[in-house]
Amino acid sequence: MTTVNRILLASHGTEGALAAEQTAINLCNKGAHIHHLIVVPTFWQGMTGDDWLNNGSTRDTFRRYLETELGKEADEHFERVSQAATEHELTYTKALVVGEPDECLLAASKEQNFDLVVMGSPRPKGKPGLRSRMITDPLTKGLKTPLLVVPYPDE
Amino acid sequence: MVYTKKSPALFIIGLIMLAIWYMADSGMMAGYIEHLANGKKYKYGSELTSIPMYFGIVAAAIGAWQWFGSHKEGHWDYYSSTIAGGMFILLIAMLVRWFVAPEIEVVSTAMGEVGQTGSHIHKLLGLNYVVIGIVTGMVIVNVFSIPEWAQNGVRLSRLGLKTGVILLGTLYSAAELKNLGGLSIVMIGFFVLGSVGMVLWIGGKRKIPNSMGGVLSAGMGVCGVSATVAAAPVVQAKSVEIAYTIGTILIWGVGCMFVFPIIGQLLGMSYVQFGAWAGTGILNSAQVAGAALAFQPDGIETLKVAEIFNITRVLVLPIIVLWLAVWYVKREESATQVNVGQVIFAKFPVFVLGFILMFALSSTGIFAPAEHYKGKYFGNTAESGFKDDKLLKDADVATLRSEFGKIERTDRKDALQRLVENRKIMSPDDDDVLRGLVNSKALSKDANKILKGAHKAVRHTAKKIKAFRNWITWLFAFGLVGLGMQITIGSMKQAGGQPAVIGGIVGFVKAALSLVVVMMLISEKI
Repeated sequence: MTTVNRILLASHGTEGALAAEQTAINLCNKGAHIHHLIVVPTFWQGMTGDDWLNNGSTRDTFRRYLETELGKEADEHFERVSQAATEHELTYTKALVVGEPDECLLAASKEQNFDLVVMGSPRPKGKPGLRSRMITDPLTKGLKTPLLVVPYPDE
Repeated sequence: MVYTKKSPALFIIGLIMLAIWYMADSGMMAGYIEHLANGKKYKYGSELTSIPMYFGIVAAAIGAWQWFGSHKEGHWDYYSSTIAGGMFILLIAMLVRWFVAPEIEVVSTAMGEVGQTGSHIHKLLGLNYVVIGIVTGMVIVNVFSIPEWAQNGVRLSRLGLKTGVILLGTLYSAAELKNLGGLSIVMIGFFVLGSVGMVLWIGGKRKIPNSMGGVLSAGMGVCGVSATVAAAPVVQAKSVEIAYTIGTILIWGVGCMFVFPIIGQLLGMSYVQFGAWAGTGILNSAQVAGAALAFQPDGIETLKVAEIFNITRVLVLPIIVLWLAVWYVKREESATQVNVGQVIFAKFPVFVLGFILMFALSSTGIFAPAEHYKGKYFGNTAESGFKDDKLLKDADVATLRSEFGKIERTDRKDALQRLVENRKIMSPDDDDVLRGLVNSKALSKDANKILKGAHKAVRHTAKKIKAFRNWITWLFAFGLVGLGMQITIGSMKQAGGQPAVIGGIVGFVKAALSLVVVMMLISEKI
């Protein structure tokens, strides 16, 4: 298998993303670098929807709670990949951003010189999870770095 | 941080409003307005020649200052940053109410009636300014996204709706509030507890996590997204569970807003029946108001009933949140104990106090005579609005005298005698008795016409109440267009998983069962 030195890994804890994390770790040479990107999709900003009955304080409590939850989930994913990277003697950096997943990945790919971008494949129908696609036409057309989409793991 | 944007947007909005006013006031729009009137009287003529002028001047003046002035951090800066978004919503509401909805009515009328329904498609689908306004809001946020300069102001829509509910307090009579309140407590009590229990029961059978069952039951049982927002932190819902629940509720809510008025029209439901059904069967509180105004766009009787149900729901919310908190603590070791007082205090809907205050003020006679009913009151003196030219003429008296023999009941005979002697109705009781006489159809058409005229002459609509009704209509239109701008396809797309299945079952059962109960138990009048 070909190995690389600088990988941009986009993952957020789904089964597909876990497969991508594993593949990214395995592809790296000793001492290589993984930059881990987690995107919080913008649809979360609309999650108070059309609520109008609650007081401002209840909405603030909800927003803070949601932020904490999303932050905790991201921290778990960072921690897992960071540990795996350390075990494989790789260097590791991370970034948590809010935005459209494809746009954020595209922007992150331009910030540093990466050899490869790695991500999981879209969730198959019937699998639980959020609906937020990262692989889009603008991404594949705009990406200047080779992209590896890791197949969804078999049952 | 400075929130006010140096943007020409608000100034341009002001100019557009002023242009609308100028074209309407100068007659430049006469041909177009005639087209929109579609052979009838155009309903919004007086609004078109006043509202856009007032708001246009305000928007243009503040817009010029926002565009060219300098802005500093502070409270005023924050409040100022909301004006552009608020005016943006208002402009959309104006365009939809005055032009888009009437245009759709013209096209729909031209297409003819739908099958044997006797209705045109716009009426059948409830395509009026309220529904079109919400849909326009949704299109704006999902297709174009809310411009940055408008984002702070879009949140004002909640204030608009709450103010609308507060003002609505002026329009209830004590008897009406008592009867509707009693009905809503029974209906909401049964269906809230029933659907919360049903979600928890089905959730238990399908082995969903307690946190998911907790947040879903609040959303499905009480008041949709609002209940989900209130309950999620208490039952420690996971992010994906919140997304599933809110997505499911939003899709149901938007769907119900379109489907309920169609069913209501097809079944020929009364305002009270439809208001009670929408207030119970629609999951999401915003869509309850939307459906009520969609069912009856040119009046607020349905909205009045539906909002009593909404208020009852929101009063039940702190209790359900507490119940779920206790339920969750018993089942999860990691759960934190809740402070009962804090939950009640934080979740108590303060605007309901405003509603009660306005109702109390209205009952004192500050806006209309204390004995008013739905803003109308009895008055047969010049001071109370009676005009002498409305006194019965000799010919009217002769017609009524000639029909005395047809009346059997003494109270009706006496009331008619007093009317003939004084040439006007002398008391609210006489008015009621004579209306009964008209409804009995015992007299000739001519005599009934005279009695109806005598009734109208002593029934007056309080000016302040009339103004409140207009304000309420606008506040709800404003609020609902703004709320439409906060319903994103991205969040609706998250509907899925177990919440979609359980929510679908419970939502359907609740809507169907409440329809049956309403049709069986609620008569035309409460």
